[in-house]
Amino acid sequence: MELLYGIFIDPWIQMVSLPDFFVQVLWEGFVSGVLYSLIALGFVLIFKASGVFNFAQGIMVVFAALAMVGIYELGVPGWLSVIIALGIMYALAFSVERFVMRPLVGQDDIILFMATIGLTFILIGGGQAIFGGEPKAMLTSEIGLPSGDYVWEMGGGIVIFQKLDIAATVIAGALIAGLAFFFSYTKIGRALRAVADDHQAAVSVGIGLNQIWVVVWFAAGIVALVTGIMWGAKSDVSFALQIVALKALPVLVLGGFTSIPGAIVGGLIIGIGEKVFEIYWGGLMGGGVESWFAFIIALIFLLFRPQGLFGDKIIERV
Amino acid sequence: MNEMSSMTPEQLNAGGYSTPDGRPIGSPVMEMKNITLKFGGVTALSNISFNILEGEIRAIIGPNGAGKSSMLNVINGFYHPQEGEVWFQGSPRPSMPPYEIAEQGIARTFQNIALFKGMSTLQNVMTGRQLKMKKNMFWQMLRYGPAIQEEVEHRRKAEEVIDFLEIQHIRHAPVGSLPYGLQKRVELARALAMEPDLLLLDEPMAGMNVEEKEDMSRFILDVNEQYGTTIALIEHDMAVVMDIADRVVVLDYGRMLADGTPGEVQADQAVIDAYLGVSS
Repeated sequence: MELLYGIFIDPWIQMVSLPDFFVQVLWEGFVSGVLYSLIALGFVLIFKASGVFNFAQGIMVVFAALAMVGIYELGVPGWLSVIIALGIMYALAFSVERFVMRPLVGQDDIILFMATIGLTFILIGGGQAIFGGEPKAMLTSEIGLPSGDYVWEMGGGIVIFQKLDIAATVIAGALIAGLAFFFSYTKIGRALRAVADDHQAAVSVGIGLNQIWVVVWFAAGIVALVTGIMWGAKSDVSFALQIVALKALPVLVLGGFTSIPGAIVGGLIIGIGEKVFEIYWGGLMGGGVESWFAFIIALIFLLFRPQGLFGDKIIERV
Repeated sequence: MNEMSSMTPEQLNAGGYSTPDGRPIGSPVMEMKNITLKFGGVTALSNISFNILEGEIRAIIGPNGAGKSSMLNVINGFYHPQEGEVWFQGSPRPSMPPYEIAEQGIARTFQNIALFKGMSTLQNVMTGRQLKMKKNMFWQMLRYGPAIQEEVEHRRKAEEVIDFLEIQHIRHAPVGSLPYGLQKRVELARALAMEPDLLLLDEPMAGMNVEEKEDMSRFILDVNEQYGTTIALIEHDMAVVMDIADRVVVLDYGRMLADGTPGEVQADQAVIDAYLGVSS
């Protein structure tokens, strides 16, 4: 009886009686949801254009952030290290296309997937060799990110919004809007959508796949750098960060592997869902719910809606 | 049948000839010289030579597995032959990726429709204009005047092709939801929007009913007449081929059986044997 009360009644009473705290929980969940969305977005970009599930997306986040901090430590100004880090991500995209994608074109998806696992190890090893393995502090004020917080009074209490989180949300939103605009209104964007739909047909109208792959890997690299900055600013930049990429998997299952809106909505649902569940229901299970909640949601989706919320419907012709 | 029937392709190459209905046929656009294509131990094409003349409708026919699609894939660069040369516009063409061949003015459709299913008819046709767009991404992102003007011009050209093939009513429909016959027509529209010098059609009428076949035949003839587009097509339906083709190449088991006007190849004993089986 007490257990049923704890599951079905008590959480709602708490939400209503302490609305300021509830809003705080929602906001925290929203902020981590934005970051999940960004990581998932990196996966979706590459998956859509090439059908490759890029296992290395998580490590690309770490690598991009490490590169930026590493360059700053050499005495380069903050804004310039951001630009150089972007250059490095471009070089990475170019090399991946030239040395991984091009020789393996036409191979089975699983072989390309294995190649991205290989890429993961190269980036871990290379990153450690160049930038060192110890955690680094992310640049924040050095690259113009705000610190401090806004306090909002509501319902007899206060809600605290970190300025950094607000900035992260705004930047993520701008990035997504920019990508959407780029895909909708430019020649390369149109080519990209064409390649995502049908490789053979794309080639037949004169779209070179090589160029497109460089573009998507670079776009995924930009997303990785932004994710790395945001995530690094909340904790530290270390190789441990790559495990957050695992959280992108349930987001992808939820949103669909081929849908950019799906990645965004999926990320927000997982981010908010796990925070709310942890705070209001976690106690019943001894806490630590946050680490597995997303995977349970993914499992339920795999059972009942395998294409996700927005993914292409899977129709098998027999 | 007509005076062309008695001429060899070499005579036609001399130029200045025209089809019975008065269309001029010019010099060779494309020449296959002793093409041999192998996959591992399997020889898909063996020592094939023929040409495609400017302004003609050239059919490639043959039973299943004869190597017709392989031939088309050699022409548009999906396959690279081990032996022989492909001559385009009067000079040997080096081995290059298919998207560069598309840039040279060769468009194609596919046996199993290859459309961009997530896009509308108009968007599909617009991808055919991709190569002609010159303004760079930067200006397009800024919606800079000349970039918009360019977009408008290409849009007009795309609409023209859409009108020509009578698919205005499905202009904004997502192509994935269209019936098969219309999808084939959209694919043709996309290829046509490229304003190709050579248009390759891989079984443009496969899986169609009689009425749809007649429509498609008419469109192919119209394209050839009005735009003067040189067309090479693969087709199974002999009646259709006899109706629309100017000259026909017959392949069987990767070898070339015959090359001539429809009347000639129809009377050719080797062709009859291949299609009907040899009675012994």
